[in-house]
Amino acid sequence: MGYQINQDKMNAILTELSKKYKIYGPRRYVGDGTFAHVDTIRYGEVTTLDDIEFKEKSNYSFKEVLLPISETLFYFTENEMKEADAPHSGAIVFLRSCDLHGLKRMDTIYLKNGAVDTYYKRLRDNTKFILMGCEDSFENCFCVSMGTNQSDDYDAYLKIDGQNVLIDSHWDLLDTALAEMPEIQVIPDAVSQNKTVVEIPEAIPQSVIDSPFWEDYANRCIACGRCNFVCPTCTCFTMQDIFYTDNGKAGERRRVWASCHVDGYTDMAGGHAFRDNKGQRMRFKVMHKINDYKKRFGTQMCIGCGRCDDVCPEYISFSNCINKLNTLVKEEN
Amino acid sequence: MLDLNTKKIKKNAYRVTKVRGETASRIRVPGGLLTADILPIIQNIAETYGNGRIHLTTRQGFEIPGIRYEDMDAVNALLQPIIDKLDINQEIPGKGYTAAGTRNVSACIGSNVCPFANYNTTDFAKKMEKEIFPNDLHFKVAFTGCANDCIKARMQDFGIIGMTEPQYEKERCVNCQACVKACKKKSVDALTVENYRIVRNTEKCVGCGECVINCPTRAWTRSTEKYYRLVIMGRTGKRNPRLAEDFLVWTTEDVIIKIINNTYKFVENYIDRSAPGGKEHIGYIIDRAGFSEFKKWALDGVDLGDKTIVKGPVYWSGLHYD
Amino acid sequence: MTDINPYIPFLSEIKEVIKHTDIEYTFRMTYSGNVNPGQFFEVSLPKFGEAPISVSGIGKDTVDLTIRRVGKVTDEIFENYVGDTLFLRGPYGNGFDIQNYLDKEILLVAGGTGLSPVKGLVDYFSANPKDTKGFTLLVGFKSPKDILFKNDFAKWEDNLNVIMTVDTPDDGYCGKCGMVTQYIPDIPIKNIENAVGIVVGPPMMMKCTIAELIKIGFKEENLWISQERKMCCGIGKCGHCKIDDTYVCLDGPVFNYTKGKFLRD
Repeated sequence: MGYQINQDKMNAILTELSKKYKIYGPRRYVGDGTFAHVDTIRYGEVTTLDDIEFKEKSNYSFKEVLLPISETLFYFTENEMKEADAPHSGAIVFLRSCDLHGLKRMDTIYLKNGAVDTYYKRLRDNTKFILMGCEDSFENCFCVSMGTNQSDDYDAYLKIDGQNVLIDSHWDLLDTALAEMPEIQVIPDAVSQNKTVVEIPEAIPQSVIDSPFWEDYANRCIACGRCNFVCPTCTCFTMQDIFYTDNGKAGERRRVWASCHVDGYTDMAGGHAFRDNKGQRMRFKVMHKINDYKKRFGTQMCIGCGRCDDVCPEYISFSNCINKLNTLVKEEN
Repeated sequence: MLDLNTKKIKKNAYRVTKVRGETASRIRVPGGLLTADILPIIQNIAETYGNGRIHLTTRQGFEIPGIRYEDMDAVNALLQPIIDKLDINQEIPGKGYTAAGTRNVSACIGSNVCPFANYNTTDFAKKMEKEIFPNDLHFKVAFTGCANDCIKARMQDFGIIGMTEPQYEKERCVNCQACVKACKKKSVDALTVENYRIVRNTEKCVGCGECVINCPTRAWTRSTEKYYRLVIMGRTGKRNPRLAEDFLVWTTEDVIIKIINNTYKFVENYIDRSAPGGKEHIGYIIDRAGFSEFKKWALDGVDLGDKTIVKGPVYWSGLHYD
Repeated sequence: MTDINPYIPFLSEIKEVIKHTDIEYTFRMTYSGNVNPGQFFEVSLPKFGEAPISVSGIGKDTVDLTIRRVGKVTDEIFENYVGDTLFLRGPYGNGFDIQNYLDKEILLVAGGTGLSPVKGLVDYFSANPKDTKGFTLLVGFKSPKDILFKNDFAKWEDNLNVIMTVDTPDDGYCGKCGMVTQYIPDIPIKNIENAVGIVVGPPMMMKCTIAELIKIGFKEENLWISQERKMCCGIGKCGHCKIDDTYVCLDGPVFNYTKGKFLRD
């Protein structure tokens, strides 16, 4: 159902909702960027619409709401383990269409690939998603190529329209709160083209996987992992056991985000590593995003948000890599 | 027949050169940053009254050689739009620069461009210029964005080195150790890992910001407050060239401005009036008056705050030729 | 189903510790669920972390975990004795399915600790020799002091063709020497078209052995390998063991060579 409401009233509804849900959206963190006087836009708790950055692409995705960067799994004493409490019992997340498609990728890994992940599920089950439209494409976006520029799989769509807010609700709780408001038709803003267009090769022959093509990245990539950390579809983690210094017998096991570009990702106990070469790490990531995932689960993994291209300090372009790969595959065939 | 007061000429930012009858005009550019529209004005002066050449000075100004002494008034008139555009304090409009002792306040490119800079060096340099110029006392002040010290702040009477106090949000840390590696290889090795989290040795940390720059998850960010290392009394010269030593660490903009203003009073009081040209470097004055006396004057009425570390007594090394 | 938290381990008691070498012990642990040879458990030590350890033997209500001391977790495991308990998660992975090898000629080639994940198979066919048309165990160790499962070999030799070799002999060793690959051509195989080869060991050893088996006529679809990778979660989430579209922890570690040969790390 579509509604029009003024911002004050919508903020009052958010305040009401915040009693049950933690509300997360892309926020501007002034001066928190890599360099002096540079801001970061990343996910954080919001209380009013003014807290949400609608005009720019967030540098980091929403994934940290469902998969915290560092998440305690359980606490232990010598012979006992106690599951950690969830960071929230319910959440509302403001996000764009590409990220909403990213959510499905997270669901696939955490709910379907092997056992159900208790920690993900308990957050996911009680989270509502509010779509933010895109009137224009941002730099490096290639959502249209990936088919993620549109989504109707939201609990609500919300658009700031001057002093008003336009809402399309798929959520009964919100419908109830908006019951008195004038009903209008609201269609989410979505871009229909991006400046960046990628063409993904249909089938990538083994010769391309083994090709010297990847060597170019071996001395360009610095293995910082930024591309993975900003990606809404990168969901790898590593476990850490820590003990409390004041009580050596107690501690916790937690998981933290991991990156297939960062050293140590494939290291086994005893020291053997499988991808020392950074070009091979690039191959591993690219193949995962545009080939391997699809082979296993039927859809492409990459959602075309372009954050990896936005963030790479060495100006390695993932989207251009796909296109170069496509050319190479055509030449091979 | 030239009949000149060379002392007045020098104070007007002209040089008495080796070429009889010719002077050179020095243009100050605080912070070393100017808009491109100023360049044609400089070009015009050089081509109209100079010999068509322009020298780039070590302090980030321009020097236009080959000007006839009798053209100084005309050149001063042409300098006015430059002085206005760069917002230089001026006692008598139209008469050019009204002092030269306090040198152009220079700065590295800073946070407008450089990824390492911890603050906007240009802005601070301009602010300092407004505070201390014009003044005939010989003061050299320079601003550098980080501990790399590209402007050579340690060769100045006052060098201001940018610092940030790294803020660590442990819940955003993935223990990739990019910060640890950067600090070890590019800075002072102040970071260690304990229980998969980073521990910063606050004694060692120089506030360079490498951890912040290299952090891929924003676990490390910059402090809202800008901090500075104030290094003092570096100098070149014949008798005892030396690098500036730390005076204050983790200090603030207000404190630095106050201290430099205070130092003018100290110099007024202690300068050797019989020195050649009435010109004596501050460092030699401090050598004579004693560091503790300088410190008393410099910190007069200064609220240092809790964070600032005051070094002292400060001893300088360097080369001694006397 | 979702009530079970797959990350929380269970307690298992150490029933027996069998010392093979200074740095390789087998811990016989209580466990009564279903388990296949070649599957693995995460041995989970609070404060130290987890280590994936393959099942090297299956008894009634026990599993054997043969552990090599190579890191902080395994070092800590070695501090435990009979009667102590360890936390475990698992079993994970597919393991070896006996059905794939029944009534066939089998050549099992193992290198060093690679014997652990296949030892359950050797035990099975040693106990049920009529289930195979001929079983050769070809196993190589670095040196005599690295030999694992010494006490089992005598038993295996009763029913199976066992060839053990070491890379570098020491004084007093009088067995076979050299790489496993040099013994492959002499192994009597009646019907190579249908013979099954199982290869587990260090990456180079596996590569050379497989090349040799194919050279003497083994069919690729009759070759099986077990891949060792970094494991963290064991349940298809953490991503560390992924190769191409394969999660070693879910789809492996045992692969038919027709799939295994395409895996690119």
